[in-house]
Amino acid sequence: MKFKWTLLCLSLLVASAGFVRAEDEIDTDEEMIVSEDQVLVETEGDESILEDVEPTDADTFLLFTKPVFEEKASIELPAGRLSEFLVGFTNKGSNDLVLETLDASLRYPMDFNFHIQNFTTVLLEKTIPPGSQATLGYAFIPADAFAGRPFGLSINLAYRDIEGKQMISKLYNDTVNIIEVEEGLDGETLFLYVLMAAACVLLLVCGQQFLYSVGKKRVGGGLPNRTRANLETGTKSSKQVDMDWVPKNVLNHLNKQKAQSPKQKRAKKTD
Amino acid sequence: MYSLKSFIIVALVCTSLTVSSLDTARLLVSKQVLNKLLVQDSDILVKYTIYNVGSVPATNVILQDSGFPAEAFATVKGNLNIRFNRIPSGANVTHAVVIKPLTYGRFNFSAAVVQYKSSENAEEPQFAISSEPGEGYIISYAEYDKKFSPHLLDWFAFAVMSLPAVVAPFMLWWVSKSKYELILKQKREKVSKD
Repeated sequence: MKFKWTLLCLSLLVASAGFVRAEDEIDTDEEMIVSEDQVLVETEGDESILEDVEPTDADTFLLFTKPVFEEKASIELPAGRLSEFLVGFTNKGSNDLVLETLDASLRYPMDFNFHIQNFTTVLLEKTIPPGSQATLGYAFIPADAFAGRPFGLSINLAYRDIEGKQMISKLYNDTVNIIEVEEGLDGETLFLYVLMAAACVLLLVCGQQFLYSVGKKRVGGGLPNRTRANLETGTKSSKQVDMDWVPKNVLNHLNKQKAQSPKQKRAKKTD
Repeated sequence: MYSLKSFIIVALVCTSLTVSSLDTARLLVSKQVLNKLLVQDSDILVKYTIYNVGSVPATNVILQDSGFPAEAFATVKGNLNIRFNRIPSGANVTHAVVIKPLTYGRFNFSAAVVQYKSSENAEEPQFAISSEPGEGYIISYAEYDKKFSPHLLDWFAFAVMSLPAVVAPFMLWWVSKSKYELILKQKREKVSKD
């Protein structure tokens, strides 16, 4: 009887633990954590394949800090702009874990083995003692050319345990939209507007000139009297010469010279 | 009957354990250096942001940054050790410190250390380290000045040197202009008298 009770108790415990595990998974799914831990297994060749194993001592969390998303389901990254995320890492086990690298890449959404853009692989080499947490920062810029298309974003964190076994935690492995940034006013459009304004002004000036000349021809039928009178015909009489601008001493000098003509001078000399 | 009691106790312990492991605060701490150019003897802004992504508030959060040794950095404004009583779930806290490097050369900006109580009844504090801004090169003030100084004294000297070349022709023009204007004025006065 006692044995039966303990058996029941044990089975319940296991069931409850399983339930908790399942609940945990749902919770993590909701919070955008993808912690499918995988182990790099060396095969005969140089190729290494990824093999799913049971969850390890590590617990990871991904949080995009730039841009900030209200809905966690749809991630939209601006092309050509900085995107930043933080990775939280907790060592739940009883041995040290060493963080190795953190990398991100854009993949072809139909085939995640096809790399479109690789971002920096950050070398970390950080030892996380048991029960401790660490935060890692990462920033990247999706290329301008990829605007307006969906891409697979893959973020991987590599770490190793005390035995040197390498593990890769896939922090994010889903399709994201790369969106085009709507700029308020760029230089190109500004100069286009300036050019258009200049063209308008030029057109107005031309139109005014044209209308003026047409109007003059029609009304005057030639040059009016006033303009004829003002026509330059050369200096005919000395009275028309305006000597205002000449300094007085120069004028006096000139008058003196005029009064005594060269002939008179000569006559005087001969006398 | 005895075993039933033990079962209930075990079940209670189990549920309490699972609850405590689920409902914890979780802090992500980012440390950023906001300056693009690190210059000796000028201010550097360091920003710490703490995000609580857990489900319960984090209490007694202590942020300590011992990454700026006193012989190489002076704190201009703010505190490198700070305590937040409570960071609610889903909230974030920003803390900024202004420091001044006293020397120049390469410097590794390392992580700050944070400790907090992950739940109300947690006994042991949770330790965490922030993100690392990484290595930066602090340039000397002379180097910075060579590139970015406004060269006010140089421009003043240039102005003084170029002054004769501008003023001499102007004076010549001015003298002749005033001479002819005086004549015109006298003429006008004469006309008005007549």
